[in-house]
Amino acid sequence: MVENLEQIADKVIETDVLMIGGGIGGCCAAAKAKEKGLDVTLIEKAHIERSGSSAQGIDHYEGFFTRDGTTTLENVRNEDWRLGRYGARYPNLNVKYRLYKHQFWVFDELEKLGVPMRWDDGEPYWIPFPFVGWERRKTGLRVHWTNIKPILAKAVKKSGARVLNRTMAVDLLTNNGRVVGASAVDIRTGKFIVIKAKATLIATGKLMRLYNPETPLPWKFKFRYHFCPASSAGDGYALVYRAGGDLVNMDISGWTLRHRDDLTISYGSFSLNDGIPMKCYTWDGTELLNPNATRYRQLEEQGKTPIYFSFDHFSDDLNKRIEVAFADERLLSFKVAQDRGFNPRTHRYELQDMRPTGFYRVSGIYIDENFRVLRGSLPIEGLYAFGDGSVGGTGGVAGAASGGLLLGEDLPAFLNDTDDPVVDISQVESHKQTALAPLSVKEGTEPLELESALRYLCERYVGMFKSEGKLREGLRRLSSLKGWLPKLSAETPHYLIGSLECRNLLEIAEVHIRACIERKETRGNFFKVDFPDKDPDMDNKFFCQRIEDGKAILELGEHVPLKPEYLREAQEEDANRESRS
Amino acid sequence: MYVKIDYDSCISCGTCYKRCPQDVFSWDDEKDTPKVTYIEECWFCGCCWMDCPKRAIDITYPASFF
Repeated sequence: MVENLEQIADKVIETDVLMIGGGIGGCCAAAKAKEKGLDVTLIEKAHIERSGSSAQGIDHYEGFFTRDGTTTLENVRNEDWRLGRYGARYPNLNVKYRLYKHQFWVFDELEKLGVPMRWDDGEPYWIPFPFVGWERRKTGLRVHWTNIKPILAKAVKKSGARVLNRTMAVDLLTNNGRVVGASAVDIRTGKFIVIKAKATLIATGKLMRLYNPETPLPWKFKFRYHFCPASSAGDGYALVYRAGGDLVNMDISGWTLRHRDDLTISYGSFSLNDGIPMKCYTWDGTELLNPNATRYRQLEEQGKTPIYFSFDHFSDDLNKRIEVAFADERLLSFKVAQDRGFNPRTHRYELQDMRPTGFYRVSGIYIDENFRVLRGSLPIEGLYAFGDGSVGGTGGVAGAASGGLLLGEDLPAFLNDTDDPVVDISQVESHKQTALAPLSVKEGTEPLELESALRYLCERYVGMFKSEGKLREGLRRLSSLKGWLPKLSAETPHYLIGSLECRNLLEIAEVHIRACIERKETRGNFFKVDFPDKDPDMDNKFFCQRIEDGKAILELGEHVPLKPEYLREAQEEDANRESRS
Repeated sequence: MYVKIDYDSCISCGTCYKRCPQDVFSWDDEKDTPKVTYIEECWFCGCCWMDCPKRAIDITYPASFF
């Protein structure tokens, strides 16, 4: 009989705040919470100097929407309306309101952390026209953030927060409905770690790895995603789901036109990166204005594919600006282009079919405006989430940084009279067994093989154009794929990353497929061939999925409107604007 | 190999081994140098390539990219 944690774990840490994920959001939260006097432990699967979606750099920060004279409320409503057109709305508008409200506070806080918000002339560079026709806005920042991660890592180190790199969370520790920390494993040594925490924060990025990368490669290189694959495995989604938290809208995946050729910047983002509108052509030179999934299918039937993406219509100045954006977001692109004789000024990039990509913005971990993770509509004690993986607009660099900083600021008040966490030892034992089991499996399956099988399943049986028959076949095959989990082997502790990721991905794939089966309509970019019409009853609703008493539950959630205090605040802002003008 | 370390220039500072987001490198204790071990997990972000203080790492794209 094991009586204390030290007998099971190689290391036991007690802390106020456990931050899982050390990307931009995680680093901001850790530094802020530490500054506020809390004991902070940050665990990161990779190394915080190069981790998260912006590991290799980022060139834009879209966030200062009220700068053009519009109010916070107008921006929230505008975004809500825009998303509604594409499918699903934010479940809770208050999250977005709170983030928009604090945009400029976040700007100052980032500067305090040593993040370069200005260009060489000492001024911020405002992106001239985020979208065609929006010339006047200038609300996003172009930033030279190739080294954003080393800079933030330095800030975290300076803050004195405890950092465990190459440490991957296995599962959350729960006790009577409260989250009391997490178990983790060092993926270089295989050491098992238990972290007891009053508050556990999750910012592990958005899930993308249920589907192939934006530049899918045949044969063995399966990770050519636009965003860092380590932060795209949906670890946080699975942690929250297994701990009883809600995932919402898990049927609504994002979509993209896949690139056949390497691109630094994902399709459609050029306009965000330096206000540069790209052009899209069929192979015989007809310009395409809106190449969506249905359109691509028609073009293919008409023999009009491949289609291309080009900036050969740009002036030298625009080309220069593109190149600087490349340098900020993925320097390697220049070298690669040179190696293959590809000149971005004159060559065109091939765009492949439009496919589902990731789960973000409207789908993911369900949180409220205080970043508390919800179960039903009630917060789970001790559990918070923000960044790309949470719903409500906390994604992107701006969302992650704002979420982390705001939460770090608030945490001392939240933790005021929290009792010390008590850990259930038998739960820790089972986590250890789950995490380390692949180390003793000999001649088993490689995690990457199982993951590839899962992605093939999602591509084939869920995909862009869904149907009941395909989805049910997918679910059936998924259950047999799950049988392969115990066969995963880890020759070295490194493969524990892959095996734990597989476990997370398989878990969430089932959530995804079940939600797709449940949605009996076609909405935005959710295409269900056997239900081609939109169901107006679903306009303000979304799917919530969680585990309750060991059973998977799916229920309808109701859209949460803005709080009266925010509406009052918005009225004041509006009145102030009128008096100003 | 698509990620190649030039061991004549490498000073064993460990930056690549430390920072790779996908943990592609391992450390060769005998030679005290980094080693490309899990190449199939590389996502071609270029972090090792741009952070190497000696420019000792070269990255080329695999055939399956073309």
